[in-house]
Amino acid sequence: MLYDLNIPYSASTSEAALSSTLTLASTLGYHTVALNHIYTTVPSTKVDSPFAQLPSFDGKAIPNILHRATIHFSDAATQHIHLANLIKIFDIIAVRPTSDEAFSKACLSLDVSIISLDLTQHHPFYFRIKPCMMAVNRGVRFEIAYAQALQADARGRALFISNATQLIRATRGRGIMLASEARSALMLRAPADVVNLLSVWGLGSEKGMEGLGSVPRSVVVNEAMKRTGFRGVVDIVQVADKGPDEVQPAAAAKQEPKQKRKGDKEAGNADKKNKKMKVVSREAPK
Amino acid sequence: MVRIKERYLLVNILYPSDSAQPPKPGLPSHIQLHQPTTDTMTPGSLLRGIKKEVEILYGDYGAGMLNGLQIKYLSLATSTFIIKCSRAMCSMLWSALTFMSRIPNKDGTGKQCIFRVVRVSGTIRKVEEEAIRQSRALIVAAKQEASEAQSSISGITRQTADMQAPAQSHFATVDDSDESMDDADG
Repeated sequence: MLYDLNIPYSASTSEAALSSTLTLASTLGYHTVALNHIYTTVPSTKVDSPFAQLPSFDGKAIPNILHRATIHFSDAATQHIHLANLIKIFDIIAVRPTSDEAFSKACLSLDVSIISLDLTQHHPFYFRIKPCMMAVNRGVRFEIAYAQALQADARGRALFISNATQLIRATRGRGIMLASEARSALMLRAPADVVNLLSVWGLGSEKGMEGLGSVPRSVVVNEAMKRTGFRGVVDIVQVADKGPDEVQPAAAAKQEPKQKRKGDKEAGNADKKNKKMKVVSREAPK
Repeated sequence: MVRIKERYLLVNILYPSDSAQPPKPGLPSHIQLHQPTTDTMTPGSLLRGIKKEVEILYGDYGAGMLNGLQIKYLSLATSTFIIKCSRAMCSMLWSALTFMSRIPNKDGTGKQCIFRVVRVSGTIRKVEEEAIRQSRALIVAAKQEASEAQSSISGITRQTADMQAPAQSHFATVDDSDESMDDADG
């Protein structure tokens, strides 16, 4: 499963452009993409879904679509982000800090899952190991969006490479998520190309593949858990039905005594039950 | 005497439909994506374009190190080519291809496209086999899509089949099959 959790979307995005981006993403092998809505200022308490006029793509091979919000913010002290309202509308919440305090706040305390940065610009801060590792250990992921480099000029490319290598060094390559931020289909690249590009910039190809697969998956699953699970921690899933060939009472009965503890009544009961089933299965005509 | 180690890259040129040129209705998306290259492109002009891109990204160092570059096969009809480079410079060449967004020509007005590396191998034989397999998978996928489109027109319920080519791998495989031979040839 490959993910691309950053396809910019706004109300002005034309349907044809979006459709060609999505079909190409599907052909290149991405299974899930996230349409990204950008808030350049911290949104007020009441927000409407920007995905209301999303066209339908019936009959086209497109990946699964998630909704993501990216909030740009610079002042950590005065602004308070009302995440509770956004959580109802978006599947994934990301932030783009633009100042030093904002960056450390995003790393240390903000309850978001992705820190997204414009790596083609010079930042007034540099990526220190401590807050970055703190963020990674907390479950926040850093996003490297390769299309920023593809459409930048020479200066922007140099800054992008410098920032990306710094970020990789600060996090030791852990918790790096790769995404495209492709504004048109032409800016998308195949997964193998992206992994090679990042390996040139110092992120090993194993880590690169994780950055397209398991890291964004963990983001998606954690965010879904926050919304559907009990208190954001426990998720209730359907118990699978046991197929007829899955139940092997004889084998189960053999294994049972090993796990049995002294005075464990339930285990004893299960054992008896298994014995009964064993007898029944023997008696049953073949 | 140790022989010089090479890498062969199989590259597809993809043309996603852009908003300026909407796709023809009824054309399967696989055909649209893998359409023939209409710009005049010769192996020479392609090589010059790639070298120029490497020079932009890696400067004089890159241009100097990139010796032994050679286009082994170029098919405009299927938009596919095979390029040979030395093993050490393989990832440099690949990243330059990733950064290219147009068919290279003299005045930089080539059609916009994506260069996708689908296979990296140490021997040209494996690359050729992969190229044949890919074009076969493409034909199957396009036929399947066309027949599905027809059945949806005639009102038959569509199957929610995965439209992707079944054998298409999403990560290009790196094949080191030449490594074992190297010691033998003295």
